[in-house]
Amino acid sequence: MTILARLEHWKEQGAISLEQYSLLSSLSRGEPFSLFLELNLLLYAGVLAFVAGLGWTVSTWSQQIGDVLVLVVLSATLAACFWYCFSRAHAWSPAETTAPSPIFDYVLYLGSLVWCIELAYLENRFHVLSGQWDLYLLATAGFFFFLAYRFDNRFVLSLALSSLAGWFGLTISHWPSHQDAAYRQYAMLYCVLVGVGGVLLQRRGLKVHFFGTYLNIVANVLFWALLSGVFNRQGYGVWFLALLIACGASLAWGLTRRQFAFVAYAAVYGYVGVSSMFLRYVTGDTAVLSYFVITAIAMLVLLVQIARRFGRPA
Amino acid sequence: MRLYTASSEETLRARKLLKEWAGDGILTQAQYQRLQQETISELRTTNIFLRLVLFLFTLITVGGGAALFFVVSRPSEQSSGVFFLIFAGVCYAAAEAVASQARLYRYGIEEALAVCSVIFLCAGMLLAFFSSGPYSPRQHQLESLVLIAGAIFSLWIWRRFGLWYAFLAAMIFAMFLPDYWTSSHSAQHVTITSLYAIGLILVVAVRRRHRFDYLATAYSLVEAFLWLGIYLAMNLQLSSLNLRAQWLGIRTTAASEFARPFYWTTWVLIWCLPPIVLARGVRQKDRFVIAAGAIVAVLTLLSNKPYLGWPRHTWDPMLLGILLTGIALFVRRWLDRGSGRIRYGFTSARLSGKDKEWMNAGSVVLGLVTPQSITPTQQKRSADFGFGGGASGGGGASGEF
Repeated sequence: MTILARLEHWKEQGAISLEQYSLLSSLSRGEPFSLFLELNLLLYAGVLAFVAGLGWTVSTWSQQIGDVLVLVVLSATLAACFWYCFSRAHAWSPAETTAPSPIFDYVLYLGSLVWCIELAYLENRFHVLSGQWDLYLLATAGFFFFLAYRFDNRFVLSLALSSLAGWFGLTISHWPSHQDAAYRQYAMLYCVLVGVGGVLLQRRGLKVHFFGTYLNIVANVLFWALLSGVFNRQGYGVWFLALLIACGASLAWGLTRRQFAFVAYAAVYGYVGVSSMFLRYVTGDTAVLSYFVITAIAMLVLLVQIARRFGRPA
Repeated sequence: MRLYTASSEETLRARKLLKEWAGDGILTQAQYQRLQQETISELRTTNIFLRLVLFLFTLITVGGGAALFFVVSRPSEQSSGVFFLIFAGVCYAAAEAVASQARLYRYGIEEALAVCSVIFLCAGMLLAFFSSGPYSPRQHQLESLVLIAGAIFSLWIWRRFGLWYAFLAAMIFAMFLPDYWTSSHSAQHVTITSLYAIGLILVVAVRRRHRFDYLATAYSLVEAFLWLGIYLAMNLQLSSLNLRAQWLGIRTTAASEFARPFYWTTWVLIWCLPPIVLARGVRQKDRFVIAAGAIVAVLTLLSNKPYLGWPRHTWDPMLLGILLTGIALFVRRWLDRGSGRIRYGFTSARLSGKDKEWMNAGSVVLGLVTPQSITPTQQKRSADFGFGGGASGGGGASGEF
């Protein structure tokens, strides 16, 4: 029985009203057909392409067109974007708010990215802070946090979190080449700061819907940091213990809150960590492969139990 | 032919829609709970995260098990091929069993078993039939049987289990087939395009019957893949990039090495295809085909200059950005001016809470990824000029201007 036939049946049963029937059957037939997602993606791609071109042009032609013109164009774009956002924004509210116009979020995002380009240009041409990039990153992170909370924008919140990570010396692309102890400590500190900040903001009721973003980013950075400690040649015991505790916490959080991404984090990161410990002491193809077969089956059994008990489609 | 009955899959679809409608407030909680009782399915499903993890661990189990067998028994190359074929059969039987007996549906386990069966089949055929003997052109041609078997078996799994990526795998197998049949690069492109076009004709013919049922989305996705495949096979500038060959260090065919009539025919075709795909998507109100049309349109704009041999400019992406933004704004405004914000059955309004969830998840991921991807590569650098680092904010934290 197709969904249209079912709706007909439910209408005849009196389970749904006539209005509900006509609305739901229209929606099932794609009438009207919403282009909401497609138009938003087009706007996002447009902003991204524009900023990429702007950055490329500025970096290639700045000597020919001159600093003044570059700065005027960048500043004018920046000013126009932020003027638009501040003049159109609704009054601030700690709760989730909708954007005042369909392009609002993208104008804010454009402004934020242009800010990055202008700041990078200023520092590299005029060395205002004598190469103290850390301060730029911190200031930018602070500014983006302000914008994200003022305008309720997840794009900019992600920018703020990645800027803060940059300040802590973390960038995704540099990760594999910097697995040293100092780097790991910064990552842990970042997790503590962002995690505690996220919890405090949530407790105070400030943009509670941002909490999931904080939690997912913290969980991933934390697990990477702990795993890098587990992979160490020496002093990995503490990191392994910390990894197990984090996996337990992630699993408990995922199951109690029915947020199964955290169950997946616990399973995958935990498995990688435990396997790396095991493979330290075991050599020989047969033993290693036997380990993988036995443990993967054990994980399957465990995960199937979890899926049967908790994991219905979210 | 399908492993799951139509009524089971329709019931699952209805259940999913009910949840969505209740979430959007179209149905009351009481109505939702009552109707939910009527949409109880015997199929066992799980959420996307557990599905992915179950898929991963099934792959580890099966892959580890097969590797262990070969390490312990150390068979000859040809015997290994036979064993691989046996493993393929075992994996396929296991996939069928867990899907039909345990009623697993998109559960990760049966999917990984089905995927392993395709991999083992191809590896087994290659080792069992083509591993020994000196190289000869005839044998090289016969090796295409492995790809044909892989493509057919993938198609079977797509049809039987309804796994969309099995269709994609079949398309990838088909993509490499002409390498074995002809050395002419033009003929290879024509062959791939023809194979995909045949597939498209068949899919278009079949999907008419499934406009509003549970198979509508599956066929929509497959049609979008085929349109994309046809376009990518025709666009010589994109094909000449050939990432696989570059990774393997194989010399690739430059677009300019093709015969001029063929080259310019493909240029005309890459301009003709985007409006056709977009028009079809819009007429069918098909989200995936519209997306495929938009992607091929952007790809045409990106590859037009290389096609014509014109130099690229640093401001080209800016113009593209302005064009995309302009189109989005124009379409939105045009739709919003219609009565009830609807024109010709289209609206720019958000009708489902699911769209918002996608937007939220997407904005977080894209917000994190964007700064890495927009950072331009270094173009020129003089002694006194170093626009480096882009470390400001997320904005190019990793890059150097």
